Amino acid sequence: MARVLDLTRQAAVYATRLLAEQGHDVIRIESPEGDDLRRLGPFLGDVPDIEDGAYHQFFNAGKRSLALDVTCTAGREAFERLAATADVIVASAPLPLDEAQLRAIRPDVVLVVVDGDQRPELCAYARAGLLSITGHPGKMPVLMGGHIIYAATGSWVMVATAAAMLVQQMTGEGQTVTVDIQECFETFLDHAVENFTARGRHTERRGHRGAVTPISGAFPSVDGFWMLSLSDSVERWRSMLEWMQDPVLANDESLLKYDERLKHADLILDRIGAWAKAYPKQELVAEAQRRRIPSAPVSTSLDLADDAQLTDRGFLVEIDHPEHGRMLFPRGALATLWDRNVTLAPRLGESNQELLGELGYTAEEHVLLFERSVS
Amino acid sequence: MAGLKVLDFTHVFAGPFCTRTLADLGADIVHVESKSRDPGDVHRASYVHRNKRSISLDLKNDAGNAVAKQLAIKADVIVENFSSSVMRRLKLDYGAISPENPGLIFISLSGYGHTGPRSAWTSMNMNLQAYTGLMLTTGAEGDPPTSVSNSWNDYIGGLHGVIAVLQALSDRAATGRGRNIDLSQFECSVATIGALLMSSAATGRPPQRMGNRSTNAAPQGVYPCTGKDEWCAVSVQTDEQWHGLANAIGKPALAGDPRLASAVGRMRHHDELDAAIAAWTSERTKEDAERLLQAAGVPAERMRRVQEVVNQPDSGKVYLPLPGDRPQPVLASSVPFRFSRSPLAPMTRACRLGEHTAEVLHDWLGFDDDKIGALDAQKAFV
Repeated sequence: MARVLDLTRQAAVYATRLLAEQGHDVIRIESPEGDDLRRLGPFLGDVPDIEDGAYHQFFNAGKRSLALDVTCTAGREAFERLAATADVIVASAPLPLDEAQLRAIRPDVVLVVVDGDQRPELCAYARAGLLSITGHPGKMPVLMGGHIIYAATGSWVMVATAAAMLVQQMTGEGQTVTVDIQECFETFLDHAVENFTARGRHTERRGHRGAVTPISGAFPSVDGFWMLSLSDSVERWRSMLEWMQDPVLANDESLLKYDERLKHADLILDRIGAWAKAYPKQELVAEAQRRRIPSAPVSTSLDLADDAQLTDRGFLVEIDHPEHGRMLFPRGALATLWDRNVTLAPRLGESNQELLGELGYTAEEHVLLFERSVS
Repeated sequence: MAGLKVLDFTHVFAGPFCTRTLADLGADIVHVESKSRDPGDVHRASYVHRNKRSISLDLKNDAGNAVAKQLAIKADVIVENFSSSVMRRLKLDYGAISPENPGLIFISLSGYGHTGPRSAWTSMNMNLQAYTGLMLTTGAEGDPPTSVSNSWNDYIGGLHGVIAVLQALSDRAATGRGRNIDLSQFECSVATIGALLMSSAATGRPPQRMGNRSTNAAPQGVYPCTGKDEWCAVSVQTDEQWHGLANAIGKPALAGDPRLASAVGRMRHHDELDAAIAAWTSERTKEDAERLLQAAGVPAERMRRVQEVVNQPDSGKVYLPLPGDRPQPVLASSVPFRFSRSPLAPMTRACRLGEHTAEVLHDWLGFDDDKIGALDAQKAFV
């Protein structure tokens, strides 16, 4: 397994989480005050605490923490010693040492430099065009919630990192990979860009009806929203009619043609919405699925906490947390595939003693570094 | 990755995005299609079909199926996203191929995975946007569920598929053994919201819907400009930027207002600040608002539409023209990274259905024209 030094900010931190899920030794290097991710709420115990941030707890799981001020000479010295042991360094720019210095220390290292993440998330989202396609028609566009976009950009960073690591494994050669986060944002437009450049079609915000799949929508039920998607299949349309028993839709034979359904999408969605209000969402979803019509509940992340699918496949497991006791923990998509347990996110500087010892620092030197706020 | 043979049984869109990204890394992607299931030009999208070779095979025809199996035995990687039983029915599943190809990496990208109580569920992008929590995390409190108008979960699932394949290739290089990978797009998308799942489970509350506000930067928002549906995003991170903003919008008194001196005060009076900023932006074009605010040192970006992202010199560089004979080139996204040593594959136009059938059979299986002709007579390539 590779040793990975993690100096990423939020836009790339999911990449190093995925490396930890694959069993690599990921060492997160953070300032002695703790990095920004630790300060980002919400918090597991509801009280702000650098050990309890939900983003820290999820994205830093499976890693070790080395608290080290790499902006001062003594800290850089320790970083140089550590870099000499690294197979991979993933770092948000600027780096503590420049590329040539790192190569001199470790010629075959895979160095992943993450750039283009200096803009605030909302500004980057607007600039990349994504804001224009998120939200409801005619209303103020919105940022995707939960900083989800950064997990997507982190996935791109991981693709680049994993590819360079494979080359390193096969040839023994390292290289430098540069990833541009603003470009990562833009890639998620490619269907819309093709629709515009090939067909002159504009992609608009659709809110909860008709996004991507024209006849789809989130409809209210007795107990919250549920989502239904109707493809161009006439069999599914017939099945839907049989289920709904709606005289207006059933008597209009022109609607057997997909083009006609597209023309009357609003009418269809209105009728489905009015009909479904009387039923509970799980019942609607179960019946739609029985009829092979894609459907799902509209959930919050709280609803997912006891989700049968996530539990059955081992994505969600119960763990014992030293502070919070028995709690649910999402192992992650890759950890689930490899059936690999992921350790809890480390306390700040949890591995300082172990790592500084490994790098040849005596106990007295460790005290010196600590007293001078270097570690 | 040059020389890596990938047999691609995928259709829209997580699977094709996964194989296209492998193609960008240099892999030889052979996309298996059938003329009898040709969906026509509307689905012949370059973002699905570029950088791939297409072979036409009727998998239900004995001769066509036998060719598919021979290709599968030669493949390093097979990617498929049919619903769970299809590859087994076609006798092209991992269990059928791996005895003769133990190094094979076989990855399925289904909606929910092939095990568990939802394994038989049908799935489309919007259903996953709904089920994973994305739609009730996006938007403000009280808003209806809110989507992003793209194939969000297909991107996320496709990227995780690439990562899983790269890891399996690494394991194979060490052990010589391949792997059967049962990827769930649902799990990939839930992972992107994993932090909120942890906090919800711990606190017993759903996450707060923040709209365009930040938990720490204030003011932050999207403000209306002149014209229809034109907006400018603003995010004030520091006190200095706040002073810049107040002066830029012609409200120097706000800059000196002690109530607003700190981020806490600005958060407390956010509604009032929103109104003042919106009053100023709504008399300006989004370009002017952006320019004046940026000149004052305030993080601000106008909302670019898709066409603006690719038509401006300072954005859209990840989009490249596809080779082709159209007067206005179709733009397709490349990858957002560069390697110092390993070359990325140059962009090629979308493959046409079946155009590489003979070439692939020659390259992968060494078939000559006579053999290909005989298979054609048996209707293998329909």
